[in-house]
Amino acid sequence: MEQQSQDHPNGPDLVASLIRAAGRRIEPPADAYQRVLTAATAAFREKTAKRRGRTWMLVAAAASVAAVTLLLQWNGTSTQAQVATVARVIGSVELESGGGWKPMTEARSSLGTGARLRTLAGGSVALALDGGASLRLAAATEVEMEGPRRILLRSGTIYLDNKGSVGTGYQFETPAGTARDVGTQFELYVAGSALRLRVREGRVEVDRAGQLVTGSAGEQLEIDVLGSVVRSTIATTDAAWQWAETLAPAPDIDGKPAAVLLDWVARETGRKLHYESATVESRAATVILHGNIRHLAPLAALDVMLATTDLEYALNGDTMEVRTRTEL
Amino acid sequence: MADLVHVDRAVARRILGGDEAAFRELFDRFFPRLYRFALARVGGDPDTAQDIVQETFCNAIERLDSYRGEAALYTWFCQICRNAIADHYRRRQTGSERFVLLEDQPDVRAILEALAAPTDDEPDTGAWRQQVHRVVEATLDALPGRYGEVLEWKYLDGESVVEIARRLELGPKAAESLLTRARTAFHAAISELAVASDELTGALGRSPG
Repeated sequence: MEQQSQDHPNGPDLVASLIRAAGRRIEPPADAYQRVLTAATAAFREKTAKRRGRTWMLVAAAASVAAVTLLLQWNGTSTQAQVATVARVIGSVELESGGGWKPMTEARSSLGTGARLRTLAGGSVALALDGGASLRLAAATEVEMEGPRRILLRSGTIYLDNKGSVGTGYQFETPAGTARDVGTQFELYVAGSALRLRVREGRVEVDRAGQLVTGSAGEQLEIDVLGSVVRSTIATTDAAWQWAETLAPAPDIDGKPAAVLLDWVARETGRKLHYESATVESRAATVILHGNIRHLAPLAALDVMLATTDLEYALNGDTMEVRTRTEL
Repeated sequence: MADLVHVDRAVARRILGGDEAAFRELFDRFFPRLYRFALARVGGDPDTAQDIVQETFCNAIERLDSYRGEAALYTWFCQICRNAIADHYRRRQTGSERFVLLEDQPDVRAILEALAAPTDDEPDTGAWRQQVHRVVEATLDALPGRYGEVLEWKYLDGESVVEIARRLELGPKAAESLLTRARTAFHAAISELAVASDELTGALGRSPG
């Protein structure tokens, strides 16, 4: 056999004849190349940006884990009724099991009452809560699912997107007080008995040992260990929201109108959606998209999907303008 | 192989360090190969193949920290691509319609039987050609570096060693040496299939020239 690997003046060159018999390999279409390149480049940039932010998160993790152990009383509930489904896992995420922590590798697994999970440095996870909201955990965060609408945030940072109306809110118990959402998007960061609340949409109430503090859309509240509240503003498009956007559960847009994607991207990026004209709006409702945007951040998904349509967008402050493409 | 993995580890490190040129180089090297890999496993549906390759790149980049260099980086990408294909079928709940390729089957004898399929009264059928095409394509795609391209330039485009040397900005001696290594690697890969059965020799002998 080995002899046949070489050219033989009096015999067939088997390597050559096989390659010739097979013919040329299939070349992927240019538009497929471009589209996958756009998506992969977005994933690459997201990944490298996340790694740059890891050092800061490690410091935050150390501080919050040390503080929280002094403050929490725990009653170990067993895993029971399902309260959430794991939508996406990035990096190191662990689930408590039998008194220890085990890596969570399986997306789409369900979490019951009493489930405890934590993200390590560089890790993050998105949960689809059974009430319909999206709960996202940044790196160095630990939570326990106490019930269908009750979550214990021991440390770290969570983001909740709950489109529900008043009365459908979720409650977050923390060492620094209890936060209740009132149909909203917000971020909650807990380090020891200090708390930071950022409200992107709607309203959030924080109950701190009977002291009620309310945060409204566009507000950031920092509540220190003594209960002092410092208010400041935060834009709905601030870069601080980007980690949560990265984890946004992508809708299935295959076979759906472009308007579905535009609505989702606008909401996830904290922007108002504005169509250049009624014609453009009507166009967005009729252009049908094909493909999937799983694991793409909202704006990257929009870049990829609109590239195949005659629509384009521009970001003007807190508005996403949609218009017909000026040149193809 | 050890050298290849060493280089691949370095490439992964550069990408994780934010080197966009390294990322782009890897993308250009892997995209056509992974596209063909996926296309063959989704029944030739180009849209699905594109979606799967997109998902493969996004997942692989996301998990690149976990690449330890136990296998070549392309092999590692292929495993992620296989998982994406499995997820695709799971989502569609059409597992029974999955396309199982001969080269994915643990029993390589099946490949050999396919290669040997043409009989005297059925020479060179379309199905046989397709099997040869698929096996050779997969083998060329699995070769390291630019071996696959070099072999195509030589045997499909009929380029001389001097022309290949010019393309690769190498001296003629280096190009000849590269071509020899590419031929040896290709033959070794095909021969691995042959180890399972002596029938391959006969099958290769019957390949249309």
